[in-house]
Parts: sequence; C-alpha cells; structure tokens
Amino acid sequence: MSSASRTRILLAAQANKPAETLLPTVPDFGGEATAERFSAVLAGIGGTVVWLDGLGQLGSTLQQLFPEARNTASPLFAGTVPVDAGTPTEVLADIDLAVLTGEIGVAENGAIWLPEANMLHRALPTITQHLALVLDHRRIVATMHQAYAQLPGTGGYGTFVAGPSKTADIEQSLVIGAHGARSLVVLLY
Amino acid sequence: MKVALFVPCYIDQFYPQVGVATLQLLEKLGVPAYFPAQQTCCGQPLANSGCERDALPIYKHFVRTFQDYDYVVAPSGSCVYHVRKHFDKLEQTAEVQHVRGAAYDLIDFISTVLQVETLPGAFPHKVGLHLSCHGQRGLHQANESELTPVRDGQLRRLLASLDGIELTHLNRNDECCGFGGTFCVSEAGISARMGQDRVADHVRNGTQVLTGSDMSCLMHLEGIVRRAQLPMRVMHAAEILNGLTP
Amino acid sequence: MSHALRADQFLLDADRTTWHDETLWFVREKRDRAVYAVPEFQALRELASQIKDHTLSRLDRYLQEFEAAAQANGVHVHWAADAAEHNAIILAIIRQQGATRIVKSKSMLTEECHLNPYLLQHGIEVVDTDLGERIIQFREEAPSHIVLPAIHLKKEDVGDTFHLHLGTEKGESDPQRLTEAARQHLRAKFLAGQVAISGVNFAVAETGGVVVCTNEGNADLGVNLAQVHIACMGIEKLIPRLTDLGVFTRLLARSATGQPVTTYTSHFTQPVAGKEMHVVIVDNGRTQQLGRPDFRASLKCIRCGACMNTCPVYRRSGGHSYDFTVPGPIGAILSPNIDMKKHASLPFASTLCGSCTDVCPVKIDIHTQLYKWRQVLGEANEIPASKKWSMKFMGRLLASARVYGLSGQFARKALRFLPHGLTHAASFNAWAVARELPEPPQQSFREWYQQQPKPVPQPPQPQVPA
Repeated sequence: MSSASRTRILLAAQANKPAETLLPTVPDFGGEATAERFSAVLAGIGGTVVWLDGLGQLGSTLQQLFPEARNTASPLFAGTVPVDAGTPTEVLADIDLAVLTGEIGVAENGAIWLPEANMLHRALPTITQHLALVLDHRRIVATMHQAYAQLPGTGGYGTFVAGPSKTADIEQSLVIGAHGARSLVVLLY
Repeated sequence: MKVALFVPCYIDQFYPQVGVATLQLLEKLGVPAYFPAQQTCCGQPLANSGCERDALPIYKHFVRTFQDYDYVVAPSGSCVYHVRKHFDKLEQTAEVQHVRGAAYDLIDFISTVLQVETLPGAFPHKVGLHLSCHGQRGLHQANESELTPVRDGQLRRLLASLDGIELTHLNRNDECCGFGGTFCVSEAGISARMGQDRVADHVRNGTQVLTGSDMSCLMHLEGIVRRAQLPMRVMHAAEILNGLTP
Repeated sequence: MSHALRADQFLLDADRTTWHDETLWFVREKRDRAVYAVPEFQALRELASQIKDHTLSRLDRYLQEFEAAAQANGVHVHWAADAAEHNAIILAIIRQQGATRIVKSKSMLTEECHLNPYLLQHGIEVVDTDLGERIIQFREEAPSHIVLPAIHLKKEDVGDTFHLHLGTEKGESDPQRLTEAARQHLRAKFLAGQVAISGVNFAVAETGGVVVCTNEGNADLGVNLAQVHIACMGIEKLIPRLTDLGVFTRLLARSATGQPVTTYTSHFTQPVAGKEMHVVIVDNGRTQQLGRPDFRASLKCIRCGACMNTCPVYRRSGGHSYDFTVPGPIGAILSPNIDMKKHASLPFASTLCGSCTDVCPVKIDIHTQLYKWRQVLGEANEIPASKKWSMKFMGRLLASARVYGLSGQFARKALRFLPHGLTHAASFNAWAVARELPEPPQQSFREWYQQQPKPVPQPPQPQVPA
C-alpha cells in the first residue's frame, strides 16, 4: 500500500507545485558571541553558569554544587554509575547527576550543542535529575546560524539544550522540571 | 490637482458631519475637492461577505465615477484599502489602475501627498487614538506592534501637533475593535466583546475623546460607548483637525 | 454549528473570556519582546518565507531526497496518502513489535488523523506525554491550541482532573505541585514505553533527519528509552538544508512563546544499533492544497501558534469554537480544504484585521487567504442564503446612484420615526444587542452638499461616457 501512495503523493506534488523559486543564501548576521551574553540569556531561561578556573576544578565545584548527588554519571571523571549505550533503563532512571561535555554554546539563546558522542546514552541528558554541561568559553558563538555552520553534521542524534526541562501548560505558569532534567548548570572554562 | 471626495455610504447616511469636516479641512489645506454625485460605495461589504462577483458592478461604477480625478480622498482607510487591494478582480485597464493608485485615505493624503505633518489649532483634551487595521496594517499609515515597539504614525503626528492635546497611552495600542464590516452582525457576540474591550482600554487610561481616521470602526465603538452611557465623545479625526470642539 | 454560535457559548462566561483573552495576550506580549530584541527578525521572516516557497516549488524532489538520505541512515520511510493509511501504518509497526505500551509526544498530525481513538479501537492505549496533551487526554477533550493544548483550562480544572486520575489532593491547584505529580506519573510511562511516537517540526532533505522541538524533553525521553521511534510528518515539514535550521530555530520559539529557543531542539537522524526508527510521510489533503494557487502558502506554516495568540477573535472564542484540529486564523484557511461544508463559517470568523499575517514567522498572507476562501465559499453557495440574497440586492442598489440615494433617505427616516424598542430589537437587529445605532441625521452628506450655495469646483469632463 505504501509504494502506491508514495507514487501518488510524489506525482501529485509534482503536478501541483508552483513554478520553481530560488533558495536564498542564509547570511551570517553577526551578533554578540560573548560569555556574558550567553550567561545572561541562560539565566533568563532558568539555567546557571558557573566559571571554572580549569577542568582541574571540576570535581570540587561539582561537590559544592551537588552535595547530595549520590548516583552520578560522566565521561569526565569516575562517576558512581558507569553508563554506556547498553545501560538498562532502570539504572538510568536512578541517576541524580550527569556531567557531560557541550560542544558549542549559542549566546543569543543559551543553547548548547550536545552530540550523541558526548552523551554516554541517548536518554541520559533527559532522564538524569540534574544536568551539568562543561563548555569551553571559546566555543561560544553568537547565533544559531553560526552554530549550524560549525556543526560537522548532526550525527545519529544530537540536541541543542537550552536550560532545564520546563513547561507552562498549566495556566501559562512557568514550572521548571517537567520531564527532563530539573536543573541545568553550565560549567564554563 | 483634481481631487474628488469619496464619502462612503454609511458616512453619507449617518455621519454627514464627517464628510463636511473632510471637505472643509481639505479646503483649508488649499485643496478644493469635488463630490461626484453619482458615487455610491466601494463594494467592500459584499466582497468581505464572499460575494465579490456581486460587487463587480459596484467596482466598475466606482471606477467610472472617479477615473477623471488625480486623487480620490475618503475619510475611511478601509474603503481605500479595498479599492487598492481588491479591485484586482477587475480587468486592469488604465482607468482601473489609475483609480486604484489615486485612492487615498484622508490622513494619508494629508501626510503623504500634501506632506503636511503639523496643523494649527488647539484641542485641550485627552484623546484616545483608535488605529484602524486597514489603515494601519493595510495602508501602513502607522507602525504595527507586531513589528516594532515604537508607536508612531501619520495621525498620531498630526494630532500631536495640536496645542494642549494629550494622547492616551493604551495598554493595547493597535488591537482590532471588532467591527469588521458584516462581521459585526455575523459574529455579533465576538464583535461586541471586542468593541467593549477596546473601549475599556480607553476608559482605563482616561480617554475623553475617542478618535480615528476610519468612521466604520468609530461607528461601532460609538454604539458601544452610547449603550454604556460613558462620558466619552467619539469624533472622526477630520472633525478634530478641522477645529471642531467636542 | 457555526463558529459564531460556538463563540456565543464561550462568551457566556464573561470573566473566563477575559481570563482567556488576557492569558493569550500575555503570550503575544512575550512574543513581541523576543521579536523586538532581534534586529534581523524581519529579515529572518523573509528568509524563512523564501526557503519554504522554494521547498514547495520542488517538493517532489525534496521528498525523494529526504527519503533516500533517511534510508541510507537506516530509517524506515513510509508514505500515507490519507489519515486512514497513516493510522494503519502505525498500527502495523506496533503490532510487529507486539508492543502494548506506547508513549507519544505532541503531534498535531496525529490529532488530525485521530490516531489515538483509532489505536484504542484496536486495543492499544497511547499515553500523551506532553503535559498539556496529557491533561486534555484525561479529560477526553481536543487540544484548543496547537502549542498550548490546555490553554482553555484553569489550574483548578487541572487540579480536579489530576485528583480524579492521579490521586492528587482534592483542591490542589498549585501548578508546581500538579506538574510534579504529572512528572512522577509520566516517568513510569516513559520507563515502560516500547514504542515512542513523535511529531516532526522540520525534516531536513539534505541529512534525512528530523528535528523535534520541545520544552519538556518528553519527545527525547520517550524516543530514547523506547525500542522503536515512529516520527509522523506532513509533506510540508521539509526544509532543504541543515543550515536552514538556523533560520527556523530562531523564529519558532520566539514566535510561539517568546522564548529565545525551545529547551530541546533535537535532531533524530539514525537509530541506535539494534533499535528502529520509522518516518511516516503523510499527504492527507496537502497536495490538493498545493494545487490551489491562492491557498498553497498555508503549507508554509511551522505551527508556532502566533496567529492564535494575536487573533482577537480566537482569544475571545477559544480554540474549541473552531471545531478543527488547528484552530485560529491558520486553521480557518486549512480547514476548508479538508471539508468546505463543515468548516464554511471559519473564514468568516475574522475581522480581517491582518495581525495574523504580521506575526506569521513565514509570512503567510493569512488574512488575504481568509478573504479568498470567503469568495470560494460564496461561489460554492456555502454561505447563508439570507446573506447571499441581501448581498445580491445590495450589489444592484449600490451600482446605481439614484436607487442608492432613495433607499438611504428611506432608511434614515425609518430610523428617526420608528420607536427605539423596534429598531433595537435583538431579533431584527444583531447590531443593537450590544450597541446603539447611529443617531440618524436630518440630511445625508449629499443632500447637504447639494444645498451649498458657495461655488464648488467644477467636475472635470468625463473622457469615457458613463
């Protein structure tokens, strides 16, 4: 049934489409690619920026920020829960804190590109109760245009994460912590 | 400059003073305008109701009536917008194209053609400006809040030039009043509610005189103001600019 | 039932109407602030519009390009001509898995196809995981907004619903606590989910991947825990290049809710080894709309909902008054393509104020299309007969200056001499339910003009005989 419909849809699209128009070139609009702007925007959408003097400070900073986190997962240090693509759901479900490496920060909207390769497991960034993303401040760009221009590709899966999971589905009241991570800390170095 | 005055049907019948003010204001600005007696309507009520075909004879009558003038000026942006945008249904003869280009809202004509930005006179009242959608979004006579926070426009500038005038700062600067032509009866409930909300914005912010450049919206708003017996006068901008006091 | 009648029902509760209007206007204001902050926003709208125009102009080729790239990524691609086929394809995938536990993130397409009731008929229960969708699913209602599906409900309504279905305390109406209850409830569903269904915001022809935007993270959580991901998309979701996402991701959330971007902008391109990803490409009337030159631009819609938030009619009549999956101005130009008779009143549920067109991030000329649908409906005799005949009468009246002048005199005299109770009776005069009629003047303008003694400029000599 599917292949008949395929033919039908493609023929109808071909028959009914308008005369071809040009595909525009998307310019780089410039903009402010600063850590200050990134931090301010992220704060506005419920995230937090913490500066590290270097990756060496990671452990002590996390200790300060998440003293209660028992089950941690990270490729950057020996977490309490080893996670890979095959980790069962029930193990993932108990993770309190995941610490992952972000690739690109976007100053205009506080988003961070997180590719599958940095996630340990695709579900980890959303199933963890709290998420910390480590980001090199030199990887901050101004806009989404610049971010996409820097992406080598999107891999099998990748996501721009902008702040903690949130919803306003009840009377437009903003609630942080819908289904994904309840908080997002960005550790800039 | 040969200028014809187009007085939309409902102004002719219910608000002749607006037609008078328009004529007198143009005269003061050195533009004598002629009122061709055979004029009727632009056809918008029919077309907006889905009966464009039935409106075509009206369109043709409109073009015949006005084709020999340089400008057709009307105290109603909505009619002008209709002529400019929707007379595309007619065969685009030289006459049709001329009339579509020659049609001007009064305030647009004063601002764009006559290039007048200030007028003499005083109007020491708190005035609420109702921006009519077809003039604002259709003919770009005023900034749109969808695009910019800057509240600016032709009529705002002209009014602001009057001595003693204070313009109301509305919470919603350019929300539709809900008139909408036949919408006001086909969706009477929503139309009334929109009008009531618009008037409430003016009441809340202290408007004493409600004005605008499109009498159709003002007719609807006036109906609501009078029903609620509010202490607010509704006047067409031509009346204010022509020196009438409330 | 017409939109006007359903709107009247909504308007009966004046306070609730005020609340609904103000809640959505608040979203419109957030949108404005986000838009004003981006200097190139209008340029982005123009770019988005051009990209979508271009995509539609070679849609058949981009569909094939997308299919080939997706298949190369190991994705199963399915084609559905209509809603029935879409539903059947999804049922077949679920049955092949022997799955019984299905989670679904927001997809207006699956609403359009009535997937949930179909699957339920076949013994399969789907759990909607978007909070707003879950609320209305409990209440067995349709979404009233495409981005904010439960925007018609107050927190007390949600509290009652959650008390009934989730056992929250009676009277609990705190959004924070209600959301937490939903989080716990849905987490169990996510963990157990075997098949995850999602919508698609953008499908990238170049990469064969689909992009799903959420704030809650429910699409990611569902898809990444399940064995099988089924992404459902209309053919109009395509964009040519990855780089085009730069334009659309800057427009979407700002237009929708005033956020700078959605919390998660997720790119699903390949399944994890050992898992499956399916994409179902659906027509369901879209190629027909593509063939209507006046209306094909409606296919550029990216479902941000900005036209709803700004529409003064929508805000005061509620999404359910449209009785169509996509309400508001965009719904009013999409719905007659699906069922002209049923939705005949929707293009008239507008003052043609044009605000929808001005907020649209892809510059769809929504209010112009509303006007044009009115003409199509008029020609097809889908407008009330009384209106049709009165317009025909007016057409003749207004094409003649003499007949017009006489009838105007008559009407004004009648208004002056008839008692107020008669001229303002609701059964005769819908105008007068809420408004006074204008006070009829003694003279019309033309009567005044003719009496003026002063010299008036002479009319130019007509060059064409009237």
